[in-house]
Amino acid sequence: MPRPTLLAWLATLLVLTGGCTRGEESSGFRVALLSPGPISDAGWNAAAYEGLLAIAAELDAGTSQVETRTPPEFEEAFRDYARRGFALVIGHGFEFQDAAAAVAPDFPTTVFLTTSGNTVRPNVAPIVFRLEEATFVLGDLAARMAPDGKICAVGGMEIPSVRSTFLAFEAGARYGRPDYPVTISYIGSWDDIGSARTAALALIDNGCRFVLHNADAAGPGVFQAAAQRDVYAFGSNRAQHEVNPRAVLASAVIDIPRAFVDVATQVKQGTFRSRVIERTMADGSISVVYNPLLTHVIPDEIRAAVDATEQAVRTRVITVPTAEF
Amino acid sequence: MIEPAALLLASTLALATPLLFAALGELVHERAGVVNIGIEGLMLIGALAGMVGCHLTQSPFLGLCAACAASALAGGLFGVWVVWLDASQIVAGAALNILAVGVTGVAYRAIFGVTGAALAVPTFEPLTLGTDNADFVLLAPLRQDVLVYLALALVPLVWLVLFRTRLGLRLRAVGEAPDAAASVGIPVARMRWGAIIAGATLAGVGGAYLSLAYSNTFAEGMSSGRGFIALAIVVFGRWHPLGVLAGALLFGGATALQFDLQARSVAVSYHLMLMLPYVLTLVVLVFAGGGSGAPAALGQPRGAHDEGG
Repeated sequence: MPRPTLLAWLATLLVLTGGCTRGEESSGFRVALLSPGPISDAGWNAAAYEGLLAIAAELDAGTSQVETRTPPEFEEAFRDYARRGFALVIGHGFEFQDAAAAVAPDFPTTVFLTTSGNTVRPNVAPIVFRLEEATFVLGDLAARMAPDGKICAVGGMEIPSVRSTFLAFEAGARYGRPDYPVTISYIGSWDDIGSARTAALALIDNGCRFVLHNADAAGPGVFQAAAQRDVYAFGSNRAQHEVNPRAVLASAVIDIPRAFVDVATQVKQGTFRSRVIERTMADGSISVVYNPLLTHVIPDEIRAAVDATEQAVRTRVITVPTAEF
Repeated sequence: MIEPAALLLASTLALATPLLFAALGELVHERAGVVNIGIEGLMLIGALAGMVGCHLTQSPFLGLCAACAASALAGGLFGVWVVWLDASQIVAGAALNILAVGVTGVAYRAIFGVTGAALAVPTFEPLTLGTDNADFVLLAPLRQDVLVYLALALVPLVWLVLFRTRLGLRLRAVGEAPDAAASVGIPVARMRWGAIIAGATLAGVGGAYLSLAYSNTFAEGMSSGRGFIALAIVVFGRWHPLGVLAGALLFGGATALQFDLQARSVAVSYHLMLMLPYVLTLVVLVFAGGGSGAPAALGQPRGAHDEGG
């Protein structure tokens, strides 16, 4: 008797589609977002969705968002939105660039934007967020607070944007302290909180005093491990100290909404030209945000020195390393 | 040498716990002849309900109760499909998984906002064992939260019920030969209902462990395939609670080991490291040999209609 299961499938379909698309009735300027994970992750994907909402509010644009996990889904979603006449389609991550390049020639009037990447075509462009400028500062902070210790990082997967933030974290720790030990673990997932926690516990038990994460929705597992072992963690992409007020000392933060609105404005006005768009500390897109409840644990002289490092990074006195894209 | 081993054992137990709850839940299902591949979905529902319950009451124990209630309810839906309506157990389980992904995602966004919330609910904390001295590393394997102990205690308890009580005998009879069981007056449908509700509740507790002990929040898809690992562990454990314990510990131990090796900067690709638990489980499965020991009537649809009242 297949009827009840069929009903369940229909109910699920209804629920899923109801959660994915909205507000695209407007026939004018329309923008779509392809997120690689759930927009409720209070991090990377959530920030992109906020960017989409900002575009809708400030540019009076119709918007749509869909969660896509695999390259065939990327290409299908790009194609679908372009065919429906969306002016701008954003693939939110390094992994979207091949699909964007494959689809773009068929839809010359649509701009395909990827967050991170190096693929530039007449209508394909990446925004590269130099988040590593902020993790460099965090590395300097951690090494100053634990001069005889070790620091570490937990990543989702080893993609260039993640590797860059860890390279800079290491460079920041070794800024004036060559050979400062930095250890990195990967969990092979963006949502496995249990693995993130275990990886962080193993790192802490091997002597790490500060843990940076760049693992999206799995990040809270790192915070939980830090809280249970009385060490501090660093958040990424968004100011994450509210997720775990007693463990998150500071976060490396990207202002994704600002960058999205800037690009969308250019596309709407027809002034957009394809190129690698860099967003940095200097233009205010990247910043270090401290947990206001924990600022007292950072000694004044260390805070002053770290602020000086941040200023040097912002003004390009220090060159922050980045991974090959 | 002893201290790293103690820490490794501590990690192993923490990693095995949600797998153990979920696999024992599936074991109870399968001993009654019901395959539930929807364990993954039940864990997800338990994770969300546990977090919401804890958020509302600020008590992880009441959160756990909410997780039990929600997963038992979802198990009831599965029971309606496979016991009352005699639907295919595999299709019903798959539907349960998909339903759970959709329902937990929509419910989470509806309650806490579309972009997620910076939530920090109280969690199950490790027991201090009368000493706050964290330097005493050898006690690390014992310094676990209460749910780890509960999971371990469930192993002999499930064994006792399955193999040493009248109820367990009847349950296994339903899994081996439902027609024969019905002929001697065992209420097959009612036994399966009981197994499904009890098993679903256990899976939900495993899910709540993710949001109330591993972390202090919920993330969509946070079960990350653990429900499917639990299915494999039941087969690995030859449908026996002790075998299930061994399977959960092996998988947890291999996972803990590879993270420990990564933390020691061993120069091996992390991709290979992440494969370790899966490869090891496969290897043991291949070499362990022997008959499968699956309940004879496993997965066969058979509803209330042929009991004749």
